[in-house]
Amino acid sequence: MDFLVEGLREAVRLVASGDEQVLDATGRTLAISLSAVLLAVLLGLPIAACLARRTFVGHRLLLILFRSLLGVPTVFLGLICFGMFSRRGPLGPLDLLYTPSAIVFGETLLALPIVVALAHGALASLDPRIPETARTLGAGPLRRLLTYLSEARTGLILAVLTAFARCSTELGIAMMVGGNLKDRTRTLATATALETSKGEFAVGLAMGGLLLLLATGMTLLVAVLGKEKRSET
Amino acid sequence: MTIVSTHNLSVSRNNSPILKAPDLEISAGDRIGIAGGNGSGKTTLLRVLAGLEPVTPGQVRFGCAAREITLVHQQPWLFRGSVLANVEYGLAARRVGRTERRRQATAWLEQLGGSYLLGRDVQGLSAGERRRVALARALAIEPGLLLLDEPLAEIDEAGVEAIGGVLARLENTAVVIASPVELPEGFVERSIEVVAPRDSA
Repeated sequence: MDFLVEGLREAVRLVASGDEQVLDATGRTLAISLSAVLLAVLLGLPIAACLARRTFVGHRLLLILFRSLLGVPTVFLGLICFGMFSRRGPLGPLDLLYTPSAIVFGETLLALPIVVALAHGALASLDPRIPETARTLGAGPLRRLLTYLSEARTGLILAVLTAFARCSTELGIAMMVGGNLKDRTRTLATATALETSKGEFAVGLAMGGLLLLLATGMTLLVAVLGKEKRSET
Repeated sequence: MTIVSTHNLSVSRNNSPILKAPDLEISAGDRIGIAGGNGSGKTTLLRVLAGLEPVTPGQVRFGCAAREITLVHQQPWLFRGSVLANVEYGLAARRVGRTERRRQATAWLEQLGGSYLLGRDVQGLSAGERRRVALARALAIEPGLLLLDEPLAEIDEAGVEAIGGVLARLENTAVVIASPVELPEGFVERSIEVVAPRDSA
């Protein structure tokens, strides 16, 4: 029991003193997962909007595919990405293995089904009067799309937050295509695993605690901001 | 000028007919009332005229652009945000400048007795207030064909008076679902009776 309390105390000290390793891993984790979520949103929102507003051949199949990929194991995704980026893989010539870009690529694949499936849910459940009202008031395609996004924003924010939480805390991809290289590809999740296996339980706990804070803090921040916005109006 | 004409119109959903409408010819300036019992397809007919409902079989010919036609639902949807942004929506879609947009939106709300709603958010509006905002939003774009689904239901006396007054002065072509007693006298020039397909068969 003592080592847990000791570990916790040391973890607080490390975070409070702004330990370089900890800060470095935190910054990298944020940068990588935010980039991945941004890419997934840019790719996924149009797909979700298309799936919600139109039906076409293969529509159902595509939807089922994205939904079933919601729970894809990150270690499997890491493996696939490793295969793609390794020297003999199709993306081998890019020479991206063991770089942050490779992790961003993998995490984008991880976030994409989350963004598509959850944003589709939010957009497809919009009241049918919304598109009808927008159309009969003469709104063009772009204004209509912006209206749908605004009307579905609670669900869309949830989609983004879920994707961010999954990306920032994943271990499989960062380990397999990032390689946990110090000062280059070490993220909070890989650092937590490494420090714990080295027996540096306190450092591991500090990293893990920060990871937890990052994943839940973003949700809290959005909740607080949302509340303030509401009370203003 | 014919705004819309329909011929041999029917609409089916899940293979059962929900509307069999009499042939219509709506000219500019016409004010038409649609009457009929519950489930007779009045709302469906309005939706056909708004171009929102596929017709099988039959024909609908539009003599004006789709963006000239606007529909106010029985329970209108207001977009998230302010009352003003809602009333300005169609004007913004027509690229009317900000100042002009605001001026027109304010004027329409005022005419409908809704000046006090100007600074409000749509959250927390009553059913009657929502209807007024939606009507102001539809009127602001000066539609070539205005389609109203029960515009006076669930509205208090003052509201009926304000909306009735505006409708009475209206020069737009309009098709309205309402019982004639609710509407301002002489507003409806002719009425169409819609009969449910199951009753007419």
